[in-house]
Amino acid sequence: MNGIANSRLSTGVQGLDEVLSGGLIRGRAYLVRGGPGCGKTTLGMHFLTTGIKAGESGLYISLGEPEGKLRQNAAASGFNLEGVKFLDLSPPAEFFAEAESYDIFSPAEVELEPTTKRIVEAVESLKPTRVFIDSMTQIRYLSTDAFQFRKQALSFLRFLTDRNATVLFTAEGSSEIPDDDLQFLADGIIHVEFNQQGRTLAVTKFRGSGFRSGEHSMRLGDGGMTVFPHLVPEKIQRDFVSEPMSFGVPEIDELTHGGLERGTTSLITGPTGTGKTTLGLQFIKEAAGRGEHSAVYTFEEGVDTLLNRCGDINIPVRAMVEQGTLSVVQIEPLRYTPDEFARMVRNDVEAKRRRIVMIDSITGYGLCMQGRDFVTHVHGLAAYLRSVGVTVVLINEIDNITGDFRASNDQVSYLADNIIFLRYVEINGELRKAVGVLKKRAGSFEKALREIDITRYGIKVGKPLTGLRGILSGSPELMERPA
Amino acid sequence: MQAPPLILTVERNLRNLELLNKFLTDNGFRTVSAANMEELDQRLLGSDPIALALVDLAGFDKGIWERCDRLRQSGIPFLVISPQPSPGTQRTGLAHGASGILVKPLVVKELVGMIQNLMRT
Repeated sequence: MNGIANSRLSTGVQGLDEVLSGGLIRGRAYLVRGGPGCGKTTLGMHFLTTGIKAGESGLYISLGEPEGKLRQNAAASGFNLEGVKFLDLSPPAEFFAEAESYDIFSPAEVELEPTTKRIVEAVESLKPTRVFIDSMTQIRYLSTDAFQFRKQALSFLRFLTDRNATVLFTAEGSSEIPDDDLQFLADGIIHVEFNQQGRTLAVTKFRGSGFRSGEHSMRLGDGGMTVFPHLVPEKIQRDFVSEPMSFGVPEIDELTHGGLERGTTSLITGPTGTGKTTLGLQFIKEAAGRGEHSAVYTFEEGVDTLLNRCGDINIPVRAMVEQGTLSVVQIEPLRYTPDEFARMVRNDVEAKRRRIVMIDSITGYGLCMQGRDFVTHVHGLAAYLRSVGVTVVLINEIDNITGDFRASNDQVSYLADNIIFLRYVEINGELRKAVGVLKKRAGSFEKALREIDITRYGIKVGKPLTGLRGILSGSPELMERPA
Repeated sequence: MQAPPLILTVERNLRNLELLNKFLTDNGFRTVSAANMEELDQRLLGSDPIALALVDLAGFDKGIWERCDRLRQSGIPFLVISPQPSPGTQRTGLAHGASGILVKPLVVKELVGMIQNLMRT
């Protein structure tokens, strides 16, 4: 951590500090806005309990929920609110039972003063460094008009921040009572939302600091809140040499003129059963032989199936996993949001120094998206991995077994630096498989196709298939050479 | 030293009465209250001179206007407090001698100004 990050105040929410470029700036007031059940209060609990752990003092000013209920909910979510001071300004049960409520003065005239007085007393006596106000909307009703409210809210926040408190306050923005005025006077705004694409968090304002824009996925659970910031490719820091990496199969190295360059994205595409995964694993096996660590994320195949069948074709995936040079992770696409998945890959790459990441397949990855912009996310992940020198292998399945040639179903071809395609070819009435290179940004490649077969001794690749015609027309066939 | 002016507050809602009296004492007045017609009749017979009366109409029947007439006859200025703006109430109130009609909720600053003005005259 550098000096700037140290002066920042941690929110206690995993991932959120990163979105905020290191945390909140001390002595400022931040607005947390969102609908019911979006995690505003949870965020506040994180904020206060983290302060307590760091030896700071925290004050929870509740204008809605009573203290007892808040403590109960916090305990159920695993927060330890011990040490957090409460100022409970929620209406007591007797309020409703009291038959006679007043109407001679407006609530603003009657209640604002005692409320303010209690807040001032609590703040003066506790001198908290972190204050959480839940919610500011309640104070709006104690103001005679919008102008008064704005003035009051501003001076209230000023009163707190002048006493070196960092303030988080919530607002329930709705169409009837917009909270635009609060957005103007806050030093920063954190939006929490719950929509069809799941829970998201976004920062739209942060005075005096940069922040990571856009909506980030967020998870609310027993442990509280976790944010998964978008991956942003690092500034290019090429501390790696862009050398070709061999497949360990001489014919494929010939086909690709040396193999795949380090730090590039390659797409292995083809219909089902042509050996896309096997080819990718062969590449990883060769890298493992050089002592490089890889990770495979499989969306379709079970880990056991993969381990077993690779053993059958002389790719010792099981041994690689046991040695720790390879990790095979099965991903249930519907459980993850793209940002969560990206975060997981990133953590693994950073912690275990992975050099190759293979995603099998991007169709499965697409399932995570549930309608989101698929290409953007794959692009973001691949660009990040490339920037740290990781070689990316994307497996792409295309629907048509024969017929018109297509590089990929989704518009992902442009993402790839290299495209290796596999396809079925009919030769003398037999269904055979062929491999070829469609694109290689970093250099030349062989233009011909070669026959490929997967045997129990591994991948076998033949000589270039010359004299093949109609490759891209859909029914490639071998021209018999004149004898 | 002269005792602070005495204000008669007529109000059936006890919580309102409490708030009104607190507001008046905070502003340096003494108060005497009536929460129903009988109490009001008694207060009008009292010996302590009343400087001003505040009469909240809410919960009183037409009999309240007759009391208003008696206030006028005794030379006590009074303000009528109405639950909602109504031209009828306004007319009747003024006809029975009210110095002004106030509509709830009252605005504290306006009320202070109005009371002070009435005290001066």
